[in-house]
Amino acid sequence: MAVPLTVIGGFLGAGKTTLLNNLLAQRTGLRFAVVVNDFGDLAVDGDLLADHEGETVELANGCICCTMGDDLFLTLMKLVRQEDPPEHILVEASGVADPQPITNIAVLHNDLTPDAVIVLADAELIEERADDQYVGDTVLRQLAAADLIVLNKCDLLDDYDRNEVIQWLAKQVPEAAIIQARQAQVPTELLLGTGKRASAGGPDHHHGHEGAFSSVSLLLREPMDEVRFMEAIATLPKSVLRSKGIVRFRQKSGRWIFQLVGRRHELTQAMDLEGEDRLVFLGTPDMPGETELRNLIGI
Amino acid sequence: MSDITIFPASKIITMNSYQAVATHVAVRDGRILGVGSLDDVTGWGDYVINDRFADKVLMPGFVEGHCHLWQGSIWRYHYLGYHPRVGPDGKVYEGLESIDAVSEKLVKIEAAMPDDDTPLVAWGFDPIYFGGRRMDLRDLDKVSTTRHVVVLHSNGHLLNVSRSVLAAANITSAINIDGIAKDVYGEPTGELQETAAKSMALNAIGLDYNTEASEKLSLENFGRLACQTGVTTATDLHNGLSEEFVRNLVTWTNDDDFRFRIAPAFAGISVPTDQGVARMAELVKLNNDKLRFGLVKLMTDGSIQGMTGRLRWPGYYNGAPNGIWNMSPDQIYTTVQAYHDAGYQVHIHTNGDEASEVTINAIEAALAKTPRRDHRHTLQHCQMADESQYRRMAALGIGVNVFSNHIYFWGDEHRTQTMGPDRARRANAAATAIRLGVPFAIHSDAPVTPLGPLFTAWCAVNRLTASGYLLGPNERITVADALSAITLGAAYSLKMDQEIGSIEVGKRADFAVLEDDPTAIAPVDLKDIPVWGTVLGGRIFSARDED
Repeated sequence: MAVPLTVIGGFLGAGKTTLLNNLLAQRTGLRFAVVVNDFGDLAVDGDLLADHEGETVELANGCICCTMGDDLFLTLMKLVRQEDPPEHILVEASGVADPQPITNIAVLHNDLTPDAVIVLADAELIEERADDQYVGDTVLRQLAAADLIVLNKCDLLDDYDRNEVIQWLAKQVPEAAIIQARQAQVPTELLLGTGKRASAGGPDHHHGHEGAFSSVSLLLREPMDEVRFMEAIATLPKSVLRSKGIVRFRQKSGRWIFQLVGRRHELTQAMDLEGEDRLVFLGTPDMPGETELRNLIGI
Repeated sequence: MSDITIFPASKIITMNSYQAVATHVAVRDGRILGVGSLDDVTGWGDYVINDRFADKVLMPGFVEGHCHLWQGSIWRYHYLGYHPRVGPDGKVYEGLESIDAVSEKLVKIEAAMPDDDTPLVAWGFDPIYFGGRRMDLRDLDKVSTTRHVVVLHSNGHLLNVSRSVLAAANITSAINIDGIAKDVYGEPTGELQETAAKSMALNAIGLDYNTEASEKLSLENFGRLACQTGVTTATDLHNGLSEEFVRNLVTWTNDDDFRFRIAPAFAGISVPTDQGVARMAELVKLNNDKLRFGLVKLMTDGSIQGMTGRLRWPGYYNGAPNGIWNMSPDQIYTTVQAYHDAGYQVHIHTNGDEASEVTINAIEAALAKTPRRDHRHTLQHCQMADESQYRRMAALGIGVNVFSNHIYFWGDEHRTQTMGPDRARRANAAATAIRLGVPFAIHSDAPVTPLGPLFTAWCAVNRLTASGYLLGPNERITVADALSAITLGAAYSLKMDQEIGSIEVGKRADFAVLEDDPTAIAPVDLKDIPVWGTVLGGRIFSARDED
């Protein structure tokens, strides 16, 4: 099974390390690996630390942190080829890096599959950064590569300024979905696309310390109309940030894995997957509920 | 038996201002005891005369201030360049003037390979000389449809691979990412660029040239090339300096047969700067006669011909978007400051003029905070800096090592694609450096272009592009200035001018042995002067290995 790879990008100071620290402090039940430029500010000490050997730190919760070394490609290969490979890999891109080439490694390699490019933006500074004589184009390039933009430090702005920066972002990168956050707190489910099964009815609202999000799970009893489904996906509101599921279509045989991050979605043929057909949607608390989504998709 | 040897020569160009020209040099304990006439150097006691160089011209051993040890390791692969090039074995490898000639040569190499499994790796290929035609799978299918074939381009950014490598690397028409060239039918052509696709292909055949560069064969090959080109001191200007490599370097450089002095520059952001500063303190303790730690290298932008260099307005002439930062401007500031405060000398790769600007700003800020004279921080490449930037460099004591070989190898492209005719005139502005008093050297960045200081000097003196165009005549420098740049100028940039760079009492007995006098020939013939070999610390190394 290919390991999903999530790239965490964003300019220096946007909150990438804080985001990873938040993630590492949780017991997600998932064995993931985090690849960083250097351990620097990463809080992997104390009770989290199980074993430290050179460029790799093993955590008590089964997760791994390692540094990129000279060659990110080789580091990733080492991770996926170890006896018990991680279930998910997050790569922290350098503060000036374009995240796209990193995700391209996962496109190419059979042992990896691209999950998402998540780019953090400092709500207070992003417009100034984007206007900077030297790094403005770098910042805009990073934003353009994003499936999801985490607008961080939102608590430092009042409503007016926050709306203003969201509108600015929407104009700069119309394609990206935006998550508002403070102290880089993003629900793990949104970060890694790990959907929870929700009960029938309205969207489930989850309020962890890491922020609020909603999820809706749709059981699919029959194959869907592919054309209708794809049209519906194209018109989903921006409050839907991720979707994942196993689906069938009237127009073609077999089962398909559907995955959506931000506005980007893809279908891949499912091999020997058990369980029922189901679609899970994750989004901000104002995302559509089950009935609305069923109507939209036509099921 | 005497321990003083006197070498008579037909001419000794000393680069020593007390006497520019001499006929005899006396050597004791690997150092220069005296230079002048025979009378001038016989007063130190018993001596022997070694007249091996009686009909040769001696110069101070050349100093290559910006090259990489990879120059040595790459020769284990097959050379496919457009320009003829001399290998470490002393053989001239003919240039290949068409893609068909390239594939014909590959067919011959393939046919001679003993087994079917070994990958065929070749390097130095450059399609810019072939009128727009690119290499594709049809060319490599002729070579083999089953063997892994990889052709590295001379610019280091691109490679062509055979069908079997594409299959092994999972590169198909269905993969849509940057860096995979495709034909009109959407099929990959085998030309790859950019990290992901390149890494996949190299990984598929198990090629890792980072490791290979630090193997002994690589250093031995480098030593042979140095000897052929008159180089006695070279740099390895960007190396993470793994513990193992450092241990090996210390051992190998202590060997009498090791043919050059090496100044490796520590890759300054390979670890956090506090660790880097601590590492430097440990490294300098390992210095010996032939091994000199103390330099830090930083990479700020990419390359101009790869359109990844950072340019100021109005950007690339062909409209390509501005290049990439390898370090953010903030990080350039903090890193320069950290190594500057710790007393180390920082060599900073800046290709585009925006990268130069930010770096000059960063050094200015570091100096404002921690004033320090004679820091000798040096901008490396600095290909596009204009006069105003050179004025600031002069004021701040910043040196420059310009990439003169670029004028020949990519000057035409700079004129027509990257910089445009106007800015290309000031590319690698050695004359401006002299005029404004910026300490300067000139370099090859080998293996990006071939190691060979006399060729580099020829580029700076003549400024002729590969097509024969005279690029920026006002930036030409004199032969004397160019010879100074490849000896004392480069030695100064490495803070080694007290011990190498001129033939002068007390300095190391490092000589370039030439068959002709570079100051007595037409400047346009500078590159063609045969090099007999070198003398390193009084020990003679013939380029033809006939010691």
